Amino acid sequence: MLVSTPAQAVPPFARQTGLACEACHTIPPELTSFGRRFKLNGYTLTTRPPLVSDTDDHKKNTVWLSDLPGLGILFQATYNHYNRAPPDSAVPGATAQSENLEFPQQFSLIAAGAISDQVGGFLQMTYDQPSGTFGVDNTEIRYVNHTENSDWLWGVMFNNNPGNQDVWNSVAAYPTLDFSNQSLWSAGGAGGAALSSPFFEGLGGLTAGPTAYIWYKDSLYLGVSAYHAAVSGSVTSTLDSTNLSAGGGTLEGWAPYWRAAYEHDWGYNSASIGVSGMASKFTPSLIAGQTLDPGYVNHYRDMSYDWQYQYNGQHNIFSFLGRYTHENAEYDPGLVPAFYSNSINHLDEWNVTGTYYYNRHYGALVNFVRTTGTADVALNGGNGSPGYQYEVLELDYLPWLNVRLIMQYNIYNVVKNNQNPFFLLNATNPRASNNNTFVFGLWMDF
Amino acid sequence: MRRLAVVTSLIVAALALASTAVRDDAQAAAVVVPPDPSALDAAQLVSNACSKCHGFNGVSTSPLFPILAGQVPGYIESELRLFRQRGRSDPHARAFMWGIARALTDEQIKGVARYFSTQPAVTGKGSSNPALADKGKLLYENGTPERDIEACTVCHGHNGEGVNSQPRIAGQHRDYFVLEMVQFRSGLRENKVMQHVTEKMTDDEIAALVEYISTK
Repeated sequence: MLVSTPAQAVPPFARQTGLACEACHTIPPELTSFGRRFKLNGYTLTTRPPLVSDTDDHKKNTVWLSDLPGLGILFQATYNHYNRAPPDSAVPGATAQSENLEFPQQFSLIAAGAISDQVGGFLQMTYDQPSGTFGVDNTEIRYVNHTENSDWLWGVMFNNNPGNQDVWNSVAAYPTLDFSNQSLWSAGGAGGAALSSPFFEGLGGLTAGPTAYIWYKDSLYLGVSAYHAAVSGSVTSTLDSTNLSAGGGTLEGWAPYWRAAYEHDWGYNSASIGVSGMASKFTPSLIAGQTLDPGYVNHYRDMSYDWQYQYNGQHNIFSFLGRYTHENAEYDPGLVPAFYSNSINHLDEWNVTGTYYYNRHYGALVNFVRTTGTADVALNGGNGSPGYQYEVLELDYLPWLNVRLIMQYNIYNVVKNNQNPFFLLNATNPRASNNNTFVFGLWMDF
Repeated sequence: MRRLAVVTSLIVAALALASTAVRDDAQAAAVVVPPDPSALDAAQLVSNACSKCHGFNGVSTSPLFPILAGQVPGYIESELRLFRQRGRSDPHARAFMWGIARALTDEQIKGVARYFSTQPAVTGKGSSNPALADKGKLLYENGTPERDIEACTVCHGHNGEGVNSQPRIAGQHRDYFVLEMVQFRSGLRENKVMQHVTEKMTDDEIAALVEYISTK
């Protein structure tokens, strides 16, 4: 199962600390300066006395248990109206309904908080309505320690979603949208390949690996990780990648992931810049009976540059963040030209978001995504272009900080070739605007 | 792209090195502590909780949070007790301090107050509007007896340094100062004396006061 939305605000953390949502979030899921430090410190800050605790002869804690487990619930419902009735993939030439109502669209159980004085964790189990599955979502466990003068903080951790360990919302694994890309692709609609996105953005829930990081003087973050396929064995069951139109496959060995970021805070302002990257070897399941060893291996190298600016004022909150990602995909010669027209493809993605909120009740969001890349007819069909471009316009109303009503319109300017579900109805010239989607959403956690 | 990555990494590293020059204030001891809040001493509390918003040395970066360096200890103690018993219910008290203070012991409250009160106090950044500051000075020192507005010096001292358990206001964030004055006036922050003093005060007079305080 693919990891779905980010953790948003986490009620167990509020129960553990006694802090309101706004301490850690401007508006969920975006973290404040304090929220970033809470996460980097392993979620161990608590103001709740333990019910059970014990120490050894050196006064070191041997056990610490809260009187209540850190549990929370996240609930999302959505109504989608598509600009045009999508094709019914089961019946060639026929169309399906142009609306759907998902209640819930997503339902998560969250267990999170301090496990000991230096260990904290986060576990999310999610029911995903479009796929009808209930499974492990974002999961991580951290151990954190400091130097004596507090200048250096370091942590080691395990998680299952490359990039989700980050604390800036400008990385792909930590998006700013509650209902991102509520299009036919994410709503389980008919036809069409998945939108092309950088390879490392599609690994959530399908990989696992350790990370070591440092946080220096509340400013500099450096982290290195290595990810492995979550399950070894069959190439078809291990990694059902949506990044390849041809279907699933598996990561080969360990894929290194790295991250560097610098943050500077002043007044109500906080700004950061960063870079992250991953080098992956991937065996796609393109050939029946294919084995892993020896297997066909593609190489993906992703490099992403991101920034975030926040103004977290008394009444006005706004942020401007985004990233540019470049991918270099080098395909196994044995798969060219049968499955890929080129031996090397490039993909470039821009993702920029601006948000504004007044008094944490009323807000608006604009998100712009543009992807371009090397034309590959074998991979993408048509003229081979993997390009697409869309904008998301959103209005938000939060009657309470943990209840959010969203009205959103997704505008598609470009969707090329077999990425456009409407190619089933019009193979020669499917219109991008057919994918435009109106969304009304409800998000809450408690 | 590889060259761009190298350049970006160098920029990040350079900014980090530059930051060491300006962030030497992070002096407080950080210690590995049990998460049982009642077992923490003041330094541990500051390191693990208070410093995240108020700074290790009590000089907060964001005006959302007051500067506590050099604050009168009696005032810090009384406010922490109010937070603990939920006797202060302005929005920030609810959002932040009700939770932070809920398990503090009397001993911890005294220790935290001692810690911040002994940090070097900061002074205001000066006024860019001397005429307005002069108007504020008059109001600060004399009040407006005909409108029953008392002089600020009575409780906050001639230079805003605080008196007994009345708070130091010199050097405070301008935005924070204004917000608190407005919340006293509206009753959002409960304090009978301050509500009485501010209820007849205009926005212009609050602006004049903050202009004067910023010179202290």
